[in-house]
Amino acid sequence: MRLSCTVNGEKREVENVWEGESLLYVLRERMGLYGSKNACEQGECGSCSVYLDGTLVCSCLVLAGQAEGCEILTVEGLAEDERLHPVQEAFVEAGAVQCGFCTPGFVVATHDLLQRNITPSEAEIREALAGNLCRCTGYEKILDAVRLAAERMAAS
Amino acid sequence: MEFLQPATWREALEAKSAHHEAVPIFGGTDVMVEMNFDRRRPGYVLDLTRVPEIQVWERENGKFRVGAGVTYTRIITDLKNELPALAMASRTVGSPQIRNRGTVGGNLGTSSPAGDALPPLYASDAEVELASVEGIRRVPVGEFVTGPKRNVLRREELIWGFIIPEAEGPQQYAKIGTRNAMVIAVCSFGLALHPARRKVGTCIGSAAPTPVRAKEAEEFIEGVLAEGDLWETRGAISEAALRRFGEMVEMSARPISDVRGTAEYRRRAVGVLARRTLSWAWAEYRDGR
Amino acid sequence: MSMITGAPGRAIGTPLDRIDGPQKVTGEAPYAYEHHVESPLYLYPLQSDIARGRITHIDASAAEALPGVVIVITHENAPRLADTSDKEYAVLQSEEVAFRGQFIGAVVAETFETARHAAHLVEISYDEEPHDAVLRADRDDLYVPEQVNAGFPTDTEEGDFEVAYASAAVKLDETYTTPMEHNNPMEPHTTVAVWREGDLTLYESTQGAHPVRRTVAQVFGLDQKRVNVVAPYVGGGFGSKGLPHANTILAALAAQMIEGRPIKFALTRQQMFSCVGYRTPTIQRIRLGADEEGHLTAISHDAIVQTAKIKEFAEQAAVATRMMYATESRRTTHRVAALDVAVPSWMRAPGEAPGMFALESAMDEMAIACGLDPIEFRIRNEPEIDAETGLPYSSRNLVACLREGARRFGWESRDSTPRARREGRWLVGSGVASSTYPVFRLPGSRARVRYEGEGRYAVEIGAADIGTGTWTTLTQIAADALGVGVGEIGLRIGDTTLPQASVEGGSTGITMWGSTIFEAARVFRERHGQNPSEGDEVEAGTPENPETENYAMHAFGAYFAEARVDADTAEVRIPRMTGVFAVGRIINAKTARSQFIGGMTMGLSMALHEESVVDPRFGHVVNHDFAEYHIPTNADVGEIEVSWIEEEDPHVNPMGSKGIGEIGIVGSSAAVANAVYHATGVRVRDLPITPDKLLPL
Repeated sequence: MRLSCTVNGEKREVENVWEGESLLYVLRERMGLYGSKNACEQGECGSCSVYLDGTLVCSCLVLAGQAEGCEILTVEGLAEDERLHPVQEAFVEAGAVQCGFCTPGFVVATHDLLQRNITPSEAEIREALAGNLCRCTGYEKILDAVRLAAERMAAS
Repeated sequence: MEFLQPATWREALEAKSAHHEAVPIFGGTDVMVEMNFDRRRPGYVLDLTRVPEIQVWERENGKFRVGAGVTYTRIITDLKNELPALAMASRTVGSPQIRNRGTVGGNLGTSSPAGDALPPLYASDAEVELASVEGIRRVPVGEFVTGPKRNVLRREELIWGFIIPEAEGPQQYAKIGTRNAMVIAVCSFGLALHPARRKVGTCIGSAAPTPVRAKEAEEFIEGVLAEGDLWETRGAISEAALRRFGEMVEMSARPISDVRGTAEYRRRAVGVLARRTLSWAWAEYRDGR
Repeated sequence: MSMITGAPGRAIGTPLDRIDGPQKVTGEAPYAYEHHVESPLYLYPLQSDIARGRITHIDASAAEALPGVVIVITHENAPRLADTSDKEYAVLQSEEVAFRGQFIGAVVAETFETARHAAHLVEISYDEEPHDAVLRADRDDLYVPEQVNAGFPTDTEEGDFEVAYASAAVKLDETYTTPMEHNNPMEPHTTVAVWREGDLTLYESTQGAHPVRRTVAQVFGLDQKRVNVVAPYVGGGFGSKGLPHANTILAALAAQMIEGRPIKFALTRQQMFSCVGYRTPTIQRIRLGADEEGHLTAISHDAIVQTAKIKEFAEQAAVATRMMYATESRRTTHRVAALDVAVPSWMRAPGEAPGMFALESAMDEMAIACGLDPIEFRIRNEPEIDAETGLPYSSRNLVACLREGARRFGWESRDSTPRARREGRWLVGSGVASSTYPVFRLPGSRARVRYEGEGRYAVEIGAADIGTGTWTTLTQIAADALGVGVGEIGLRIGDTTLPQASVEGGSTGITMWGSTIFEAARVFRERHGQNPSEGDEVEAGTPENPETENYAMHAFGAYFAEARVDADTAEVRIPRMTGVFAVGRIINAKTARSQFIGGMTMGLSMALHEESVVDPRFGHVVNHDFAEYHIPTNADVGEIEVSWIEEEDPHVNPMGSKGIGEIGIVGSSAAVANAVYHATGVRVRDLPITPDKLLPL
């Protein structure tokens, strides 16, 4: 089938989408947007987190056709004009990145949290990132990065 | 595979009527996993995310009608005071990403004994609304689920929503998992006090082939409350009665051992959860909440 | 990104931001699956449904008839490999099935979906034989391997253990078990293979591009020059990408059969539980004897591990016990059961991670038996020299770690009585454990330094960055080695077109690659001086370190954990941990800290969560996905405070650093287990510590 949607502000149309494939597969294999990662295919790890019409979702659990006509924002769409988004900057500076495979999912989930709540409590940060697994960092620096990004975004 | 995307509930029912084998999908939190793992390759997939009628809830005569497409996130934000146990259970579902997409309707459709939303529905005597082009029928949730991942939904039917009385007293939900988040329940327990009816509703999750009400325990504690005139006096439930309540709940469980926990542990843990949720709910009741 | 350029010669020790950070946070860093290739094909593997036997018949007609299917590959049509001596790599070479989930074929198709669907249409008949996939201590077929992993001797004996143990005033004899665990890096193992005009290119998710090249060239009988491996970004490995596995061979086989078309093969999470290595389960009996003052007089550590019938991997679980504490007599043994299972392999600190769980749990029990504080007990048994080699340590600051950790954690106020503290429904306790990891050396790295004009230097080595920070730390090392700022270094790693590098394994990366870069820089300056001409270039190999003859080299650490256990449900929470390390010089405080925390977290996970449950009837891992194989979420990890003591070690290497990738996990699980014991009075000797093992409380 054919799928039309807007990805990172750009109209995209792809042909020959198999009806059973996920939005994650479409993004990666059909659009070449490899930022969203495939690591569990069951919504357990959050590596494929994207916005679907403004809502944070696991793109591996969205059936391709469900995205028809929708606005999708992926990790590739967060930086503006070569400038990292404050969340991305904070992840680099806080040392929250190791192997980097979970990072795009964490960045998008953090972006979502701070859009809704610029002064999140410790519990709110942990809750917002509960569905994102990281095997390298032990999370400590990721939580630091969220606090750093929140501080900066609140200040600006 | 054919992808069907009805724009109205009527179209959805017609599609289901025309294609009985069509698999309904909303949040995809169960169906997509099965398809991603290639455990399932349905001939038709019926996407319900474009059907507005199932994405609303409404209040009617002290009861809520909640559409099958209302997400956990919305239950938490919209109905936390009106349906506290269901909201608590919804909060324990997966992650924000999952709660943003997953629905109670999907939980009903999957009919897993570990489904987090089910114990609160049982404890409050909810009814499931099943619809086809022929019309709507209502089935008590305890009769809807018939076994692990089995229910009475007919081939031509879709889950339209559920009817649940607004909380008339304190409610609780508690769950044990092997980690602190992203938890599939090792066991869970839902409890609702119904002061007007002088009733206590309960339900054990993940410790039997289906969610089960602890009927004997309910009758026992209702007896204790009546005998001591505790509903009126808002007096304390004795430690002995709480303990006995927990033991009776344990007896209602029919757990199995699996990778998440042993049967023995599950039995014991539901007793603990039962005792705890009753004491929390009763403390709220005594405070006049 | 803020870049600390710093003064020349002082980059080592600065907390430089990750050089690869911006590419990773924007999703632009290409991992193995994500390199652009023209018109790829997709491979989906066929895996055996039985644990032992022979394939008797394959009917691929339905699969082959599916539009889009290019080929169904099985042992019947697969090309013969040149070298099948390593049975793990002898993919599709015979009808024999040696374990459940073994690759027995593959479908290659125009789309992933077609390949996967077709794979289900292939009908395979077997002649099934009885299998045996469960490790037990009472087996009568345990054997003595020639040596254990990393080349250590299988058994050792010092003094007369039996006599010393028999006459000891205080004795302990307990058995500790750890389960099968799977590495589960976030990035599934991936190969994109392109065979074109006799040249094979592999975009690979690996801890060592050159080792993959070596193995693949040997298996396929190719000149190494014809094989190129590209791996600039790797999504974690933890040992499972240290050695190539059958998936790489399978992808290359398919590429060989369909020349010119790239073959994409990423394992699913579920497939990762059957064919890319795992940590063996272990059964470890420890006996300790001590005199009245708590001096150890006898130590024995007998480890039983499993391997696959097709290939031996004998995990060195008892090796750390050979050097950890002073004693008059000591015996260590390893016995192996060869089972109808997949090949076990490296998982973060193979040997030390399970071995130190056992030893450090036993040390806790023995301290209690001797009536001593567990820190005091360890200090009392601190050795003067390395008992195994008889050499002095280049540096050994375990005691300093224990003391500093005790201070930071607040150990002093601890009541040693178990189950003495209760806060509401929570039983609260604390525990300590020591950690150690050897400074291994691996041969064979080379580095190139080239002056590119305008003050800039290209530094090239085929090293890997699996998330450890190599891109950044080697840049810092190169800057100091050349005496320039980090901004002047253009580092290239992760590709076999670069000078060869050893595997990122055994925590050797910085030691080996850093030393090699130092050497190349030294030779460069020797030849070309401080004012080189553009294009001046030098390549050099790893220098010998004569000090390895004179010193035993190990890193050390100490961990403290607080445990809270629900008195009714026995749920365990770890609100805080403290780790103090003595690991020589820290190259980059930012990347190092995260490595330590991550390692300790994996130890916490080992203590409470991780267990691959094998169904003995079928021989497969039942909980083979992230819903059922639990690794910690952020909610499971409390505050982890990490620090290190200033340790000058001039002997280990030019940087004065010791490897830090693995030490974090070693002993961390024991600290948690000891804390759980202190909280509850219940000693769990069988990981993971699940609530059912603690009841009744």
